[in-house]
Amino acid sequence: MGKLGKIIRMEFRLTVANKAFIVLTILGPFLIAAIAVLPNLLSRSEGAMGGETVRIALLGADADFVREIAPALRQSGIEASAVQGSSESLDSQVLDGAFDGYLALPADLSLVTNMEYVSRDAVDYRVIGLLQGVIGRGIVARRLVEAGVPSSRVASLTQLPSFESWRLSRGGKMKNADFVAVLMTGLTLSMLLYMTVLLYGQAIGRSVLAEKTSKTVEIMLSSVRPMDLLFGKILGKALASLLQYGIWVAISAVAMRLVGPRLGISVGAGLPISTLAYFVLFFILAFFLYCSIYAALGASSEDEQQLGQLAWPMIAFLAVPVVMIYPIIMAPSSPLAIGLSFFPPTAPIVMFLRISVGAAGGWEILLCVALTIAATIAAIWLSARIFRVGILMTGKRFKLREVLLLARYR
Amino acid sequence: MIELRAVRKSFGSVKAVDEISLAAKAGEIFGILGPNGAGKSTTIKMIVNILAPDSGSILFNGRPIRESDKDRIGYLPEERGLYRNVKIGEMLLYLASLKNTDRSVAAKRLDAWLDRFGLTEWKTSSPEALSKGMAQKVQFIASVLHDPEFLFLDEPFSGLDPVSADSLREAILELGERGKTILFSTHNMEVAEKICSRLIVIDHGRELISGTLADIKSRHGRDMVVVEFDGTIDFGSLGRLARCLSSFPRWAEFELAEGTSPQALLKILVDQVSIRRFEVVAPSLHTIFVELVGGAGKSRSVGSGG
Repeated sequence: MGKLGKIIRMEFRLTVANKAFIVLTILGPFLIAAIAVLPNLLSRSEGAMGGETVRIALLGADADFVREIAPALRQSGIEASAVQGSSESLDSQVLDGAFDGYLALPADLSLVTNMEYVSRDAVDYRVIGLLQGVIGRGIVARRLVEAGVPSSRVASLTQLPSFESWRLSRGGKMKNADFVAVLMTGLTLSMLLYMTVLLYGQAIGRSVLAEKTSKTVEIMLSSVRPMDLLFGKILGKALASLLQYGIWVAISAVAMRLVGPRLGISVGAGLPISTLAYFVLFFILAFFLYCSIYAALGASSEDEQQLGQLAWPMIAFLAVPVVMIYPIIMAPSSPLAIGLSFFPPTAPIVMFLRISVGAAGGWEILLCVALTIAATIAAIWLSARIFRVGILMTGKRFKLREVLLLARYR
Repeated sequence: MIELRAVRKSFGSVKAVDEISLAAKAGEIFGILGPNGAGKSTTIKMIVNILAPDSGSILFNGRPIRESDKDRIGYLPEERGLYRNVKIGEMLLYLASLKNTDRSVAAKRLDAWLDRFGLTEWKTSSPEALSKGMAQKVQFIASVLHDPEFLFLDEPFSGLDPVSADSLREAILELGERGKTILFSTHNMEVAEKICSRLIVIDHGRELISGTLADIKSRHGRDMVVVEFDGTIDFGSLGRLARCLSSFPRWAEFELAEGTSPQALLKILVDQVSIRRFEVVAPSLHTIFVELVGGAGKSRSVGSGG
């Protein structure tokens, strides 16, 4: 094994043997599951009401009408019953909890223009929406029958057409559902990168910094080239983090397979293989780029506080594609989008978005990949330079201009 | 054999190393002596290729260093450091592996070295548990575990207790006998006097003197007289006969003026104090060093003189 290999192995072992790493590896899938499943469960329980039925009183409704609309309401978890009496007595019944709310219906339903729904919690828009839809349609059906339309035709006459929306862009037409899918995968890539860079990039920055502060660097440099040392650190830490991600994905996938069907959640549906491949490619490219920038920052910092300060502008670049995601998907061939897709710090995410909407291909992808790799190597080279000079400068803070000057220093 | 030819290195306007030349042969223990900030560490860092000289050349067995030569170099930096979260034994084997040393060979040597420095029980400890002196011995092991041909030690004795310093000194002497080229820096003259076969004294990056110890002693300074006594010496009464280099209530060191015999000094002193010891000695390296550095430095007068 070469020296680089040995450094990678050591750095990998150091990272993996760390208690925090092990704990995070075990807890990760639960966190992911929680993030992935909870919103799903929440939205589902909203639809099914979790078995709890909303009881509605229909004041002054005739029994025939209630019979007509009851099945549709029951499907949505609303139990409607016809009640006669005064609104005052119903007020007290609602307050006592006998009903969740009541709707006053006038005697002649076909003439009604306005109805009032009274409940304890006024913000239950879902119930209001359902009542509006079901009862409104029932009233319209009544009016049609009264106007002489055969009741067999009422259903087809009141049927609303379904809508599909398409979005026109330079890349061509796409279904709005796909647009949302691109938006979501783009955001997922950004968020995943953001998390990973914060988690592991910082660890790499700190590890490079520790090499300086623990004074091991001189011994290391008397044995290996600075480039080997930094490449080894970055690759070792990166492999450890990819291993962790692999474990997370595997456990999550197995868990979803076992538990998912019981919860009625489908996993990984709808993403084409090519999108997935680009996702992984650009994730790894961006990950290594940011890790090596972090290494350079670690090499030029004197302590963790300074590392944190220096890292902020870099993290801001990660946020750029998130902020610009809408205009980029809308106009993926605008000069701005093209520019951002070749500017290394934003290139991976923006290029991924452009590929997803079909606005980039072939040489553009290759150029983007080449530029990102070149920037990664440049960042490592720069950190190796700073590193070497930084040994002499311990105890003294760097100014950016100095760092750049020192980069040329032998 | 390691050779430096007119090596220079500046940091900004500061000349850290200014035209230093030296040659250390195999089996020789070469000392770089100098006060703090003289350029010792910078010189060693250039030799081990951590820094590049501005001009001049550094030759290993007659040719410039190559990347592969790093495996034959052992280096103990002045700033000691160990990875915090690695066990000591593992750390040392890792460092040896970075010098392309076979693991099983390194493991055997490691046990021998740990035993020698009384560190065996610390093999599986983390470096945080070590005292400063122990950490230093561990780092020394790191610099020799791959059995290097060239050994560069930056202030190896600083911070060691006398027992540890003795065992380290023995180890260095032994490595020298085995034909290694050893170069070390120090400002501790007693140690240098005990183990250096050749040395260079530098200050402000410049060479003040160099050669074998005997050479330097014969070239520099006349014979000294060391006196141990009871009573009070009237230094004024000595006139120009002798200069007092250093004095304590019961001990004094004199440098005799040109043409003065020790006898003349003794005659004067006998009348003033009761003498317990009167010895004519070669100047100590310490004395030479203080005189050289003092002279080259702030041109302060050395010793009390009266």
